[in-house]
Amino acid sequence: MIRLAKLGVLALGAVVFAATGATDTARLPGDQLQKAVRSDSISIPTPGELFAALGKSEKTNWSGQYRGPMPVTYRNRAQIALNLGGLIADGFIAVEAKDSQQVKNIGSDIIKLAKALGVSEHLLGRGKSINEFAENSEWDTLQEELEATQNEVKSSMQSHADQDLVILVTLGGWIRGTQVVTASIMQNYDERSAKVLRQPALVRFMQSKINEVSPQLRQEPLVRDVSEQLNGIEKLVSFPAGKPPGVDEVRKVNETVGKLMTEIESKELPK
Amino acid sequence: MKRLLPIFLSMLVLATGIAVRAETDAEVQARKDALDVAGAFANDGFKIRDGHSCGIVKAHEHALVTVNLYAGNQYWFSAAAAEPAKIAVSVYDESGKQVTTESYNNGEKAAAGFSPMNSGQYFVSVDLVEGDGGSFCLVYSYK
Repeated sequence: MIRLAKLGVLALGAVVFAATGATDTARLPGDQLQKAVRSDSISIPTPGELFAALGKSEKTNWSGQYRGPMPVTYRNRAQIALNLGGLIADGFIAVEAKDSQQVKNIGSDIIKLAKALGVSEHLLGRGKSINEFAENSEWDTLQEELEATQNEVKSSMQSHADQDLVILVTLGGWIRGTQVVTASIMQNYDERSAKVLRQPALVRFMQSKINEVSPQLRQEPLVRDVSEQLNGIEKLVSFPAGKPPGVDEVRKVNETVGKLMTEIESKELPK
Repeated sequence: MKRLLPIFLSMLVLATGIAVRAETDAEVQARKDALDVAGAFANDGFKIRDGHSCGIVKAHEHALVTVNLYAGNQYWFSAAAAEPAKIAVSVYDESGKQVTTESYNNGEKAAAGFSPMNSGQYFVSVDLVEGDGGSFCLVYSYK
């Protein structure tokens, strides 16, 4: 259970702790739920959150989830944004693996891809910080730095009128994170780990954000393909509450996101 | 290091937070206060998510924010109001049913913590129990 003891450091005067909720009448109507605020910055979890949940229930071989170096010479901006998200997820994996050199390599590639999008001017300092924290094995701080880097990339995109690319960075990170998590669960299946895959509303939200981007971007072959496949992925991660997916269901998710990741990484764009 | 975390994060979000609109001074102050509350949980190993939701809550109403959570993690949702008020934070599952949480309430600052049994969508409600309404900000932390 969550411990509250340290909250005392706030020294805020009168403080009340209590367990609340779960009465028969405490239910919000559907129309209120529909109107709830949804935003990229709080409604979409980071790869770090996903990996934290996975790490609770199994001993994950994080370094076994590395992939080979990816090209950083893409020309298509949508493809760069998707790969940038995937690369940031790779950074979280390297932090989980506590692998300084891998963190530094990925940090360097993140800067290169961000430069290709023209959003790197504020990120050079982040690259330096990532290197320093990696050398000093400051893993918690590194995780915060990666999260801040991802947000700074998105913030910079918004100020460069590239806000349509923001959701692609987020989506790229989610796809790569899901690929890694499903691969890990398949290697060492247990129901508690498999529970993290239930995220239909999250996929639906990302799909809705893709539908809001400009028609030109939405018609790009890669974005169109990713968007179409998200519909299928939403069904694959729609398990009933309390019923974790079996190994075969996990494998299906892994195959689908793996195929999508290959397409995102490919130098040959779909036609 | 961990004692400096709330300060560091406050500066970080003020400098680099993703804002789809300019935040008011009141919202910035509310965010700083919410981060102060969340900072206390950082001492217990909770990582503060670099993201937030700020807005306006009216008297005797609530503001509802959608989050997507993972079974296996523990979460604390910390909120603060900019103006003198009494607020409360509660959490609802995807069907709208309130879930049992541990709570922290101290006037214009409040938090709710729980460990979801199921991954998926949840709704965090910031309720204005007393006061005339005004700006609030919500942040969350996990471990």
